[in-house]
Amino acid sequence: MVKYIGKRTMTGLLCIVMALCINFIIIHAAPGDPIRLLAGTDAATPEMIAALTEKYGLDQPVHIQFIRYAGNLLRGDMGTSIYTNEPVAKEIMDRLGPTILLALSASLTALLLGTMLGIFCARHVGSGLDMALGSVSYLFDSTPSFWLGLMLILVFASTLHILPTSGMVDLRGRYTGLAHALDVVRHLILPGMSLSLTLIPYYFRIARSSVIQVMNEDFITTLRATGMPEKDIFNKYVFRNAILPTVTIFGIQLAFLITGASIVEIVFAWPGLGSFMMTAISRRDYPLLMGIYLIMSICVAVMMIVVDVLYSVLDPRISHDAER
Amino acid sequence: MALLSLRDVSVTYHAGGKDVHAVNHVSLEVERGESLGIVGESGSGKTTLIMAVLRLLPPGRAAVTGQALLDGRDIFQMSPQDLAAVRWEDMAVVFQKAMNALSPVHRIGRFLSDIYLRHRPKATRAEAKEAVIGMLELVNLPPRVFQLYPHELSGGMMQRVSIAMSLLFHPKLLIMDEATTALDVVTQNQILEEIVQLEEKMGSTRIMITHDISVVAGACKNVAVLYAGSLLESGPAEEVLVEPLHPYTQGLVDSFPRFDGDGKKPLTSIGGSLPDLAALPAGCVFAPRCKRACDRCREVRPALRPFGGKRRAACHFAGGEENV
Repeated sequence: MVKYIGKRTMTGLLCIVMALCINFIIIHAAPGDPIRLLAGTDAATPEMIAALTEKYGLDQPVHIQFIRYAGNLLRGDMGTSIYTNEPVAKEIMDRLGPTILLALSASLTALLLGTMLGIFCARHVGSGLDMALGSVSYLFDSTPSFWLGLMLILVFASTLHILPTSGMVDLRGRYTGLAHALDVVRHLILPGMSLSLTLIPYYFRIARSSVIQVMNEDFITTLRATGMPEKDIFNKYVFRNAILPTVTIFGIQLAFLITGASIVEIVFAWPGLGSFMMTAISRRDYPLLMGIYLIMSICVAVMMIVVDVLYSVLDPRISHDAER
Repeated sequence: MALLSLRDVSVTYHAGGKDVHAVNHVSLEVERGESLGIVGESGSGKTTLIMAVLRLLPPGRAAVTGQALLDGRDIFQMSPQDLAAVRWEDMAVVFQKAMNALSPVHRIGRFLSDIYLRHRPKATRAEAKEAVIGMLELVNLPPRVFQLYPHELSGGMMQRVSIAMSLLFHPKLLIMDEATTALDVVTQNQILEEIVQLEEKMGSTRIMITHDISVVAGACKNVAVLYAGSLLESGPAEEVLVEPLHPYTQGLVDSFPRFDGDGKKPLTSIGGSLPDLAALPAGCVFAPRCKRACDRCREVRPALRPFGGKRRAACHFAGGEENV
């Protein structure tokens, strides 16, 4: 197992390095210039622009810039934001927490609710509730999360006035301790809901079809023939076999949310990495963007490794092949 | 009293608005300590018949009528509690696809122990392990198989595991559904010999479902020939297979290489295919494919008539032309 984790970590590192190279090339190939944006269009003299360009090393050829960046990175320096002049590492760390909080809570809610509903429907296939939940799942599946977010704001904030619409904390409240935590939870509900409501259908359908499939496996017939009660068959054997695809989906989805929840973060002004990234893109803030992309690729790689290792624990057929 | 006595058993599937008569009025007796081979081509209702006896057919989709008396008690009328107690203790089954007969993500020992503990709730895990390993050794498997996963065994070994599993409680009746079909001929032969030896040792009774007449000839005392859900002929294997009374049995025997090595007789096949089970012919079910069929065969379904000893056949021509 240790060998397997080691091997997966090496491939994960390779992926991160490749992502780093590709991101660097794409960012620098994209039109736009951070220095012009920083200097402004009115008062900037050519000398000023030349000085700023040199200060940030943007006068060098792209490959030299990359070697410098990679060298700094290896020394633990992610650079300084061109726009805010703050260290990139600090800027990202401030926003990584909220993003992980949002992504994790939305994913876990969707995982639990979707899987539970899916299992319920699989055990009552063809019932009225099964059909109804099936239709509703398609409805939410085809709803964009940002639109859902706006509708939630309309209902719970604008009309009912029971939940806040934006931010992560109430700035006027100055809460501490438990009150602060509750305040964060209150702010988390709407963005979390708009994400998880669109994710539940995935978990629902995966769990439902997977349970139905396992229930029809030959070994379930064997267990029935042995006189084992349906309850035991389900708890001990169906669940364990049916949960495997969900594990894969969960990992991919969580990685996707950490990188791709930006639109919902913008709708709810959630101070996370996603909305921060959009700002960084519009400002062409190269060091900051590189830093955000690096963190995102690390998150994806780590999630993939975690899923693969977890999968090999849950499914002996995988670990067996992998350890050879 | 016969160990298992089927009386007028019929199974009808409701599919696509039509009634599919998979098994029609089958009556059979299996004496204690004897072995019965049920032969027939694919779709003849062999598996449906034993699934009905095991009460493993989906309740909503299949209607079962008649009686299946195991030791005088009707399996079809048993309460769920009685049925759970009878299952595996009194009748056990080995299914065709041994590779799928066990959960892929559980160790073989765990799976078999769970079944053991279900019927011996007071036993400890250690006692269960001892019993399971004892059974594995009985079918010539090393004790280390207890620790392995199904994918780590060959097809033949898995079939042995299935057999060991079925013998856990020395069941009075052992049902084998094409249990050796998926194996190569050498392994099949070995396992068949072992089964016959074990049976002599344990004094159990066996029903063997197969489409392979050579298996019946080698390992069964009696034979029953099933076609389109109807019993066409039954009796001691050595008599039925040497001098068949029914043209269908004759056709089956002619399509297999001779057991006595008479290579001069050409192998023939039975023309045509099984009738539509949703619209069975009014007369003999085999009449559309039978070379000897006359008008009476197409109009009147022949009853199963006794022909001395234990032999029975359902053909107007059986026992001489005078019955036509």
